[in-house]
Amino acid sequence: MVEGARARVVAGGTDLFPQLGDRLPDGDLVDLGRIRDLNEMGQCPDGWLIGAGTTWSEILRAEMPSGFDGLKAAAREVGSVQIQNRATLVGNICNASPAADGIPPLLTLNAKVILVGPRGTRRMDLPDFLRGPRQTGMRQGEIVAGVLVPRGVCERSAAFRKLGARRYLVISIAMVAAVLRCDAAGRIANARVAVGAASPVARRLPALEAALEGADAAALADPGFVRPEHLAPLAPVSDVRGSAEYRCDAIAELCRRTVLDALSRSPR
Amino acid sequence: MAEVTIKVNGAPVSRDVPDAMLLVEFLREELRLTGTHVGCDTSQCGACVVHLDGRAVKSCTTLAAQAYGAEVTTIEGLAAGEELHPMQRAFHENHGLQCGFCTPGMIMTGIDMVRRYRAAGQELDEAAIRHELEGNLCRCTGYHNIVKSIRQAAGEM
Ligand SMILES: Cc1cc2nc3c(=O)[nH]c(=O)nc-3n(C[C@H](O)[C@H](O)[C@H](O)COP(=O)(O)OP(=O)(O)OC[C@H]3O[C@@H](n4cnc5c(N)ncnc54)[C@H](O)[C@@H]3O)c2cc1C
Ligand code: FES
Ligand code: FES
Repeated sequence: MVEGARARVVAGGTDLFPQLGDRLPDGDLVDLGRIRDLNEMGQCPDGWLIGAGTTWSEILRAEMPSGFDGLKAAAREVGSVQIQNRATLVGNICNASPAADGIPPLLTLNAKVILVGPRGTRRMDLPDFLRGPRQTGMRQGEIVAGVLVPRGVCERSAAFRKLGARRYLVISIAMVAAVLRCDAAGRIANARVAVGAASPVARRLPALEAALEGADAAALADPGFVRPEHLAPLAPVSDVRGSAEYRCDAIAELCRRTVLDALSRSPR
Repeated sequence: MAEVTIKVNGAPVSRDVPDAMLLVEFLREELRLTGTHVGCDTSQCGACVVHLDGRAVKSCTTLAAQAYGAEVTTIEGLAAGEELHPMQRAFHENHGLQCGFCTPGMIMTGIDMVRRYRAAGQELDEAAIRHELEGNLCRCTGYHNIVKSIRQAAGEM
């Protein structure tokens, strides 16, 4: 069905139609909304599955484990309600914008992308799927059936923050997602932090994650906790919205606050 | 061509239209329901908001074919004969419009937010209304009277 060389998949259309402008798409359009099997969301033996038809509004309304709190916070930030009612999480990752709000939370949840094509079904880790700005590991004829969050991370504590002048009509300076596992004393046993909009593809921050191990809220009260070297894989640019130096400072502070948010949600 | 069979403002309609026709084009050009406006080509302004199965969407980001089997309500479907919908009356009474271009989208969005907050048992205060209007732009009013209108209607709906 999707094999036609120029066939284009459309889910919510909120990325696709504004990008097409007045040009009509020249190939076939395949509407995923009518494929029932893709609309499922919920627990499955391997974890939690979010089908390709799932809109941001459905994510917001769903009862989900604590690990998804960051993803829900991101859902609230995507455009406006009318956009959230149509736009899908999977469309967000397939569009692969460096500033996609769905990507940092999914990176911290170790999400796998489930692809279906003429040659069957396969899974890819999200970082492998995201090849570059607007480039994915999808092969000709394949579609994404959904994303899978592995069982182990669903119960952790999570948070998300986005920095931009206004939520709408702006390209954000950065967005940060954090997922934590904490010990009984409120110290971080395992941390995952990802940053979007500050590199061609959103990235996890391994150095910061290592530094966070063993830290507690008191340690994170230090405004200098997140150091420039912790932001290693990022490459913030200088442009009209801010210099690279300002962005580094802002991202470090955004990381610290997001981790504190997640920490404050962790059960004692 | 795609067959589009939907209900618009309660009446069933069925047409064969080009595959790539947007819902907003279907409403305006096929059905001549020109109350739904087009104010941008980037899905940002909200002039085109309609209700699709009871939820606010931007009809410029939806293909007519994607609405197959759905119920659509447009600004033309709100009044009962001569009797304006409370949201329409509130915009009229509070001077919630100047040129009127954004108004259909504002009213459809306003009704959606009142219903949603009521269903969730949350209070739709001024801050919430301003936040909810994120997806609707107005070049004339400065929003103040739009917010006032929605507050009044929230008490009457
Ligand atoms: C006014 C406005 C504000 C916005 N604000 C934000 C924002 O704040 N943050 C943000 O991250 N995004 C924002 N967006 C972008 C967009 O709404 C999101 O990226 C959304 O999640 C895209 O989902 P969709 O279902 O509409 O995708 P579509 O437009 O339907 O598809 C996007 C791309 O992915 C492909 N695709 C979709 N589903 C599949 C699938 N299952 N398999 C294979 N390919 C697929 C399509 O072919 C297309 O290339 C905004 C858009 C608008 C118009
Ligand atoms: S016409 Fe501007 S949002 Fe649809
Ligand atoms: S009244 Fe003119 S755009 Fe709102």
